[in-house]
Amino acid sequence: MAGIAGMAGRTGGDRRVRALRHVRARAPRSVLVEVLRRRRRALAVGCLASTVHQVCEALVPLAIGLTVERAVAGGDPGRMAVALGLILLLFAVLATGGGVSYWVLNRAVQQEAHRLRVAAVGRVLAAPGAAAGRTPGELLSVVTSDATATARVPALLTRVLSSVAALAVTAVVLLRIDVVLGLCVVLAVPPLVVAVDAAGPRLEARLRERQQAAGLTAALAAELVRALRVLRGFGGQTEAARRYRTLSHDCLDADVTAARASALVLGATLTATAAVTTAVVALAAVMAYSGRIGVAQFVTVAATAPFVADPVAGAMAALQQWAAARASASRLGPLLHGAPPLPRQAVAPARALAPAPAPDGGLRLRAVGVADAVPFSLDLAQGEALGVVAVDPAVASAFVEVLAGDRPPRTGAVHAGRTSPDPAHPRRLRRHVLAAPHAVHLFGRTVDEMLDSGREHHPARHARALDVAALGAVTAARGAAAAEPADGATDLSGGQRQRLALARAVAADASVLVLHDPLTAVDAVTEDEVADRLFTARRTDGGITVVVTSSPPLLARCDRVLFVGHDNIPVLATHPTLLDVPDYAETVLR
Amino acid sequence: MTATPLPVASGRHALAHLARIARRHPRDCAAALGWTLAAGVCGVLVPLLLGDLVDAVRAHHADLAGLLIRTALTALAGALCTAAAQRATVVLGARIAARLREDVVVRVLALDPRAAEAAGGGEVTSRVTEDMENFTTAVPLLAQVSTATGTIAVSLAAFASLDWRLALAFLTVVPVYVLGLHAHLPRAARQYAQERTAAAERGRVVLESLHGARTVDAYDMAVLQTGRVDAASGHALTAGLRATWLSLWLAKSMNAAEALGLCAILLTGALLVDAAEVSVGAVAAAGLLFHRLFDPLGTLLTSFDQVQRAGAALARVVGVAALPAPAAGPARLPSGPVTVEARGLRFSYGPGRGDVLHGVDLVVPPDTSLAVVGASGAGKTTLAHLLGGVLAPPRGRAVFADRLGRMDVREMSDEDRPAWVGVIAQEPHVFTGTLRDDLTLAAPDADDRAVQAALDAVGARWAAALPDGLDTRIGVGGHPLDAAQGQQLALARIMLADPPVVVLDEATAEAGSAHARVLEDGAHALVRGRTALVVAHRLSQARRCDRIAVLADGRVEELGTHAELLALGGRYAALWSAWTEHGAPVRGHAVASEE
Repeated sequence: MAGIAGMAGRTGGDRRVRALRHVRARAPRSVLVEVLRRRRRALAVGCLASTVHQVCEALVPLAIGLTVERAVAGGDPGRMAVALGLILLLFAVLATGGGVSYWVLNRAVQQEAHRLRVAAVGRVLAAPGAAAGRTPGELLSVVTSDATATARVPALLTRVLSSVAALAVTAVVLLRIDVVLGLCVVLAVPPLVVAVDAAGPRLEARLRERQQAAGLTAALAAELVRALRVLRGFGGQTEAARRYRTLSHDCLDADVTAARASALVLGATLTATAAVTTAVVALAAVMAYSGRIGVAQFVTVAATAPFVADPVAGAMAALQQWAAARASASRLGPLLHGAPPLPRQAVAPARALAPAPAPDGGLRLRAVGVADAVPFSLDLAQGEALGVVAVDPAVASAFVEVLAGDRPPRTGAVHAGRTSPDPAHPRRLRRHVLAAPHAVHLFGRTVDEMLDSGREHHPARHARALDVAALGAVTAARGAAAAEPADGATDLSGGQRQRLALARAVAADASVLVLHDPLTAVDAVTEDEVADRLFTARRTDGGITVVVTSSPPLLARCDRVLFVGHDNIPVLATHPTLLDVPDYAETVLR
Repeated sequence: MTATPLPVASGRHALAHLARIARRHPRDCAAALGWTLAAGVCGVLVPLLLGDLVDAVRAHHADLAGLLIRTALTALAGALCTAAAQRATVVLGARIAARLREDVVVRVLALDPRAAEAAGGGEVTSRVTEDMENFTTAVPLLAQVSTATGTIAVSLAAFASLDWRLALAFLTVVPVYVLGLHAHLPRAARQYAQERTAAAERGRVVLESLHGARTVDAYDMAVLQTGRVDAASGHALTAGLRATWLSLWLAKSMNAAEALGLCAILLTGALLVDAAEVSVGAVAAAGLLFHRLFDPLGTLLTSFDQVQRAGAALARVVGVAALPAPAAGPARLPSGPVTVEARGLRFSYGPGRGDVLHGVDLVVPPDTSLAVVGASGAGKTTLAHLLGGVLAPPRGRAVFADRLGRMDVREMSDEDRPAWVGVIAQEPHVFTGTLRDDLTLAAPDADDRAVQAALDAVGARWAAALPDGLDTRIGVGGHPLDAAQGQQLALARIMLADPPVVVLDEATAEAGSAHARVLEDGAHALVRGRTALVVAHRLSQARRCDRIAVLADGRVEELGTHAELLALGGRYAALWSAWTEHGAPVRGHAVASEE
């Protein structure tokens, strides 16, 4: 039984992995190239310093060989003193080069990761389409770990280049001792690196799968934490834990496969380098034995040749991480480049948004058709409040979307102020219209932060908005209203959170405010009170208010109500008049 | 500060936890250890053999071929052992990490939601995601550290085999390393802890922004919200750079140790060769051996650093994973109808805050429903969660009584409670996955017929029209569902779980009236034949319950049927008149006249 259920869960996970695989690869290269271009200064300085460091490292075994053969074997204290002095100098240069490259590159990597992260989040927030159906948990993993892996490329490139420099030094040392020995290294190492690198794509695929599985696992964990209260409500923890385990096991399998693949690559690299270096040493031993090179030179070879392994291993490790960086960049890329750029006005600098005066001539709807409703015309003057009631929820939703500029109307046009309606750019309406979504999402830790939506900040406006939402008493009870932390607003009740969201909408002071079922989680007395304060405040400010709702306390306070019944014919009248229409009475029935 | 931090394990505790998990994988442990030691031995033998080669060449020794073959074989074996060691340690690490993340998620699932929320949702999430990942990325490090330790241990023996004075010279590096670490570790520990805290806050802000992306879009506040992400990420960046700066100084002290150690060995070697105590080859071998140790020593030292960094993350993960599991009371399934009783329930959200409930006494007889109404913030949700076992009452008792006896809700384990009571929270959550996945979360064994029946019972007729039926993907990235549909799924889940007691916390709050009525009908179907506590702000829903309790300031002010409370002319009557004001017809008039 459990086995069958377990298998069902497993195939589900596989399907998810497979489905996500299609998301990848919008030219990871371009992201990596961008990163390198942006960090070119750090790259240049880091490369230089790292090359100095690596060359010094390559010279250390040479220094040991020379010291042993010239000073230790000779027994000359003067030479010994010089040799030790030179070794200390070599280390001083080595340490400086290493330190500079470490700092410069690490700083660049962290700054770049930060930059990529903020750019990706900014992009998703400015154009939600960029997220392309990925869960917030997955996105979090992309903008944290994938951003860091992608940002690592300057450090990786540096490591490859400085390893090549170190190899060159070793090759030169060997060439000067004997051409054959030098040629061994010069000729053997490049094909070796190329051969191992050929395994790259396979390894990259394994690493990508591993990363993907890890991302899914983390996403599920994040979702379960978020839904903790709901889960406990129906006792789903055990089943949720089982599903998480299944996914975690998939992730473990991917880890093991990836470990096997990278161990294979490592083993091949090490074996090949060991073969090259021992061949060189053996050749030198034979040469020294036969007198072709001196014993001192043999000691130098014996000291230097094994060092070949270090830069080769370093370069290979960097290439492996490069594969991981490419995999990460392919997940990050769509967030940075995926969605088409927004029309300019849609990303107007929010900080500069002053409360726009109500559009001259108010809001004019001309032969506007939404969903299946018959087109209608309607003028709203400054300070006017319109209720919207539709039997078909799709009509109400479509109406909100049209006013919000999410999409153009099926027919006709919406005129706000002097903006001429443009079907290609419905979002232009947003200069005048704020359509607050029904779902409550509050941002920040303090009430003040939660009320801030990027408009010009007036403390008085916040206080007034709280008062409109009848939250004055609540915030007073919490102490200093503004500074009180309310993490995730979790100890606020559902009704209080909904009213905080309403207060935010009021504080935004939009010339046209569209509200969708704003007071569904509030008790009858409070609903009545808030409805009264809301319309009074909006009227005083001269703002237009549109409320899509079926709540009588709100509808009764609207100047007019637009009703779309079963016949899809819009009717414009007042709430008391409409109560005589059976369709309407049925819809607002409590 | 309102946030109550989640526990962070001590270093020793975290390590002990790791060791406990590692012991469950003896074969992986043995493989990792065995290959690592073998790799270390080979790594050390190579420079020793090279030293022999130097002596052989100098002395025109005859057995050059044998020596060369041995060197080649050792080098090749070393390469293979190193790769095998890496694979074995990474696999071991991955198994440990998998076990750890499962432990922590299972533990989090059993966490009192209030504890999780008090610590901040982002805090818990960052522990199960980012901290876990920080630990996992440190896993390959485990391979390097163990290889390095093995190599160093074997090298020390090799030094001693060459000459004890050379071994002594080698040991001069120890005080330099110790001094470097001594200065570094305490500062670094603080810095890494700060780095983790900053990263957790960054995760919270990012997650909050992503969840509310639609709201951000509606308010055109992407710039502001991105600015907030920028600020949080910037703090994490600053903390990270400070930590990097500290690591830099540790690396430099390592270079100093290398230089001093090398000079000491060569000088000692020169003196010993001068006194004809050791061969030039032995000195060459010692020098090369020491050079081969630069890497492992560096790995070991920087690993202190990285281990500490991973340790900061590990301590946060283990802090949650090792929380004592809530004590399970005597397990028993309900038998027959259940009475729900509240006795002197009190509750406050944290010390220093006033009580939300001031000793609530209530009895809901078996198979009847009680509506709880009142102003928002009156304590309705808190009462519902206490009776539903979502929260544990610090004082007072919440008791379920059936034919066989009485059970304190607090003493029920997480496994048993769902058999007694199902709770529907105010805000629905649609789980990412298929529609079937979402519903069977509440009843893993339910077949498609049962699932379909539950959907029908709560009036979720839209489900039949979904493109792929029960296989339709819902939740984030799937087929979009509105709040009311989400809440119907919540009702259907409880329908499937089929407990004798249900607690509905404003199950209709998310919808406007058109939807609310459909939801009310669904809720009514669920309540029928069960003992129910229904928190309602929609009085039409309250009216359909057998009795109504009015909660005000954490006390039950009025209790009775709809008619009794109206006749009382108190708080309920006032609510009712506000509800029916503005001429709205009230549903159920016709039903009332029939009764």
